Amino acid sequence: MSASNVVLSKSEMEAKANWLREKVLQMAIKANSGHISTAYSQAELLIALYYGGLLSFDAQNDLCPKRDRFILSKGQGGIGLYPILADLGFFPEEEVINFTQANSILGVHADWHIPGVEVITGSLGHGLPIATGKALALKMQNKKELVFCLLGDGELYEGSNWEAAFSASHYELDNLVCIVDRNGQAVLGKTDEIDSQRDGPRIEPLDKKFEAFGFEVRVIDGHCFDSIHGSMADTRSRNSKKPLMIIAQTFKGKGLSLMEDQRMWHYRVPQGEDLKSCWNDLKGTSNGN
Amino acid sequence: MATKFILGMRDAFFNALYEIAKKDRKVVLISADNGAPTLDKFASDLKNQFFTVGIAEQQMIGMAAGMATEGYKVYTYAIAPFVTTRVHEQNKIDICAMNLPIVNLGIGAGYAYDVMGPSHHTVEDISIMRVLPNMTIYSPADGVCAQALAGVSYQSYSPMYIRFDRAGVENIYGDDFNVQKGFHQISNGNHLCILTTGRMVHEAIKVAQELNNFGIQASVIDLFCIKPLPSGLVEKLSTFPKIVTYEEHLLAGGLGSLILEELSDAGVYRPTLRIGQKDRFVFDNGGRQCIWDKYGLDAESVVKNIKSWMAVDQPHQESVLR
Repeated sequence: MSASNVVLSKSEMEAKANWLREKVLQMAIKANSGHISTAYSQAELLIALYYGGLLSFDAQNDLCPKRDRFILSKGQGGIGLYPILADLGFFPEEEVINFTQANSILGVHADWHIPGVEVITGSLGHGLPIATGKALALKMQNKKELVFCLLGDGELYEGSNWEAAFSASHYELDNLVCIVDRNGQAVLGKTDEIDSQRDGPRIEPLDKKFEAFGFEVRVIDGHCFDSIHGSMADTRSRNSKKPLMIIAQTFKGKGLSLMEDQRMWHYRVPQGEDLKSCWNDLKGTSNGN
Repeated sequence: MATKFILGMRDAFFNALYEIAKKDRKVVLISADNGAPTLDKFASDLKNQFFTVGIAEQQMIGMAAGMATEGYKVYTYAIAPFVTTRVHEQNKIDICAMNLPIVNLGIGAGYAYDVMGPSHHTVEDISIMRVLPNMTIYSPADGVCAQALAGVSYQSYSPMYIRFDRAGVENIYGDDFNVQKGFHQISNGNHLCILTTGRMVHEAIKVAQELNNFGIQASVIDLFCIKPLPSGLVEKLSTFPKIVTYEEHLLAGGLGSLILEELSDAGVYRPTLRIGQKDRFVFDNGGRQCIWDKYGLDAESVVKNIKSWMAVDQPHQESVLR
């Protein structure tokens, strides 16, 4: 459980985030597939959850009843979760190397056959409804474990999230911690910079929307470990019956000059000079490849 | 064999489910703002086992999946289109792809919500639910079967959809009813078999009786387990020279379709007449009987249809029938 899990220092987590970005790029290149830019926007959030003591888990017993439940509702972010799960011992490292290859357990979208992955995702707008069911079930049994749900901001266009939001506050799911990876982009367009027909609809004011739905809302810098920890340090001791919604401001493709906050990299793998530029950026922040 | 008492099959089911849920607190029911007189007792006595998510069926299924992954036996409940077509992707991904023990209860199969229009007609549910891997489908014809399905569904460890009729119908079955068999032969005749399900079983019985007046001996088989197809059904059907399928459902992918697929796969080829709704939406008012009458689904039309089919399809039928 988290008590026995190693908790990294801030500088160690920063290094881990760089390691993760390198891993993701390697996996995407080998597979010629994978959502790099979204894995980069969520990188610090996942590192903080898994290495910062925020999430309780047991890599040797992935279905341990005492675990927190983590649902990656933005299932396309699987490529950014798998290296972490392998690193922590949920499954062997070879699986990561073989991402999407024949006989690998790891596909583009996370699914429940993978140790450490609670439910299947990939179609957006499914994670939060399932998370409310898990949170309600745990509450009914007076269990203290939390349910975490990482959502994409583009995912919030799906109406099912808002159906779930009604229930989350109605059933006072104070054991539900939602995090929105607010990278400002969907697949084709931006969510709030309306430059062309490809963009929108607008998502803002997102904090007020969730507040109106009965959530306690915290808006943070999703690439800053202090900010992330500040927003989740009290998840087990909050004095509120409201579900928690953390809106993590992030950038798609964070860390790569080629992709950061740029369009058209939702599901593209860089090649040639583009790829060189990516490795240069990553080398600049670590001793990586 | 029939004991007459009229209780909606849904209510027969809920009464039985109530008794199960009283003993097992992990049995919960989620409603998308739908009720029933027999559910009031469930909701008031078993407060921690009854949930309403509002008119939010996607949430109903998603929340059910979340609860099921935490060890609950979850029933969801709404008018039939709203636990099938409305939430097809949730059924596919949240329930079936994770093979969760969730039971979707749909009330008002077929044209039961007659004057409510195409939004409330449920004449494609068999087609779209049977394509979902892991999904089991039941379609009871009376309260006895429906009541038995409470126990069957409780014992199931995989997804299930039960389509109920809305109206109270007379019971067909008695205490000797065997739900495990999946189908039941109601009348015996060796000229043809009328295979049907749900509300139309009652009409098929009338059809068989009327055909008898014309010297056509028809068996009626109530197929209440639509998927997986019960073992022994194909063998049973293969004993008849002709087959009629009769459903209050679109022909595309429905009962007739699935039976012909199975027979073909088994190498059993019989002249088969499919009676059901053609490729259309129904906007007609006037009630269920009006719809049946207009589209040839009523017993009288079906009798005519079968008589003419027997005559055309098999010119020497006279000798066969004698």
